[in-house]
Amino acid sequence: MQQLVSVTLSALLAAGLYATMAYGLAVIYGVMRIINLAHAGFMMLGAYVTFTLFSRFSLDPFIGLVVVGPLFFFFGVVLYRAVGKSMARSGATPSIESLLLLFGVWLVLQNLAYVIWTGDTQSILTSYTMKSIEIFGVHVGVPSVFVFLASAASLIFLNVLLKRTYLGKAIRAVTQNRDAALLSGVDADRISATAFGLGTAFAGIAGGMLSTLMAFTPDFGRSFLLKAFCIIVLGGMESVTGVALGALVLAVLENVLGAYTPVPTSLQDAVSFALLFVALVAFPQGLPALFARFERKAIR
Amino acid sequence: MPADAVISVRGISKRFGGLLALAFIDFDVMPGDIFGIIGPNGAGKTTLFSCLVGAVEPTSGEIRFRGERIEGLPNHAVVKRGVVRTHQIVRPFREMTVMENVAVAAHFGAGRRRGADAARRVRDVLGRTGLAAEAHALAGTLTIGQLKRLEIARALATEPQVICLDEVMGGLNPAEIVGAMSLIRSIRDSGVTVLMIEHHVHAVVGLSNRILVLNFGQKIAEGPPQAVLKDPAVITAYLGDN
Repeated sequence: MQQLVSVTLSALLAAGLYATMAYGLAVIYGVMRIINLAHAGFMMLGAYVTFTLFSRFSLDPFIGLVVVGPLFFFFGVVLYRAVGKSMARSGATPSIESLLLLFGVWLVLQNLAYVIWTGDTQSILTSYTMKSIEIFGVHVGVPSVFVFLASAASLIFLNVLLKRTYLGKAIRAVTQNRDAALLSGVDADRISATAFGLGTAFAGIAGGMLSTLMAFTPDFGRSFLLKAFCIIVLGGMESVTGVALGALVLAVLENVLGAYTPVPTSLQDAVSFALLFVALVAFPQGLPALFARFERKAIR
Repeated sequence: MPADAVISVRGISKRFGGLLALAFIDFDVMPGDIFGIIGPNGAGKTTLFSCLVGAVEPTSGEIRFRGERIEGLPNHAVVKRGVVRTHQIVRPFREMTVMENVAVAAHFGAGRRRGADAARRVRDVLGRTGLAAEAHALAGTLTIGQLKRLEIARALATEPQVICLDEVMGGLNPAEIVGAMSLIRSIRDSGVTVLMIEHHVHAVVGLSNRILVLNFGQKIAEGPPQAVLKDPAVITAYLGDN
């Protein structure tokens, strides 16, 4: 029983973080139909910026996120304005140019980080890093709880933005049908820049949160990029609830396998690989489409 | 060119590789016109609409909207000036409600409305297009007839001065066609100039005061409906030489 509570709790805490980093990828894919390979680079950079704010200006990493978010949004918009034309959406599938370009951006960011922060492993040690609190009789690290709360806050922010504002409606409109959005007077190029900024901001925030949980180097972020891929494939690429669901599925699976099977934690990344494979073979349209199909069958 | 024309097209052509989809087309549309565009499949009708709203940049020629050149402007900028089109194959925002679909257009279109003002415009447009009962339904769940009306509703919500309707009657049953015809008349009566591509000849003849006939990208006739239908070139294009 104790173990069940513990597994459920850690799955839930991880799911919040996973959802935040996957939304960054999903919003860019939705609007521009490109896979942001530089996502891992933005996460790494988010971790280092949070680290610098903490070590230089003794800004608490979670308060630092309030700086990282807008800063990375701005960075994303500027990057889009600089190279976005070469990533412009050409059809339903990501263009090879956009993949190569963003892979290049990732490499540049990585090397820039080596120059600025060297290859030494860094970590953030706050007064509460080693502290834990008891929830339902289970000890949970304080940073994990903060990460969960910060994730929840950023996801609520995103949801309100998408559902309640005209900007959000425009983002959804371009995601669902770019032609129709243009015909409604929406400047799709501006929306793409905004979406790229949002995606970058979410990656930066996710990286900042990760920096409170683990040590990092300029190579940091790769396995999280893979997890984010897995989640948006599970979530059906464009659906907000789908992404949340995908994040939960991955987090639960990782934690259940870790707790109840002899799969060692070193193989945790293999879980997302395997899940990605299964998802692509069994339900390439993602979970929401799978459920819709079952519903239709049930009605018939 | 006539000074009071809403739309003036001069020498528009569009080349796709080796195919000349439109060859140096000229025509003028007057305020309050219902201007029909007909022609066999592949005549260039839809390409002409795409050039008008800026979805496609013409290879040559100029398009003036109230005297101001609009060819080559991006699609959304043309819409904000007051020229909009619908698509033959409907393009709804499937995961949004009918109301949200129309609200996007009311806000980002030429009207630039927000808040209660936008909501009023949305209600008004949904009422006119007979979609009020479906306001809260997801667009993805509508029937084809309703989707065609949503396509028109969204275009109207942008508050256009010129609306280009691309085969809004395709796939509709006879009762729905009667409804669509009265809707198009009411759009014209509300002060919006209408251009329409239509295969349903009865409907075009019944509605239009002028008709342009295209064939293989060329203009082969233009004039009042009855005169155009008697034109030998038009009869040949539609029925062949015998």
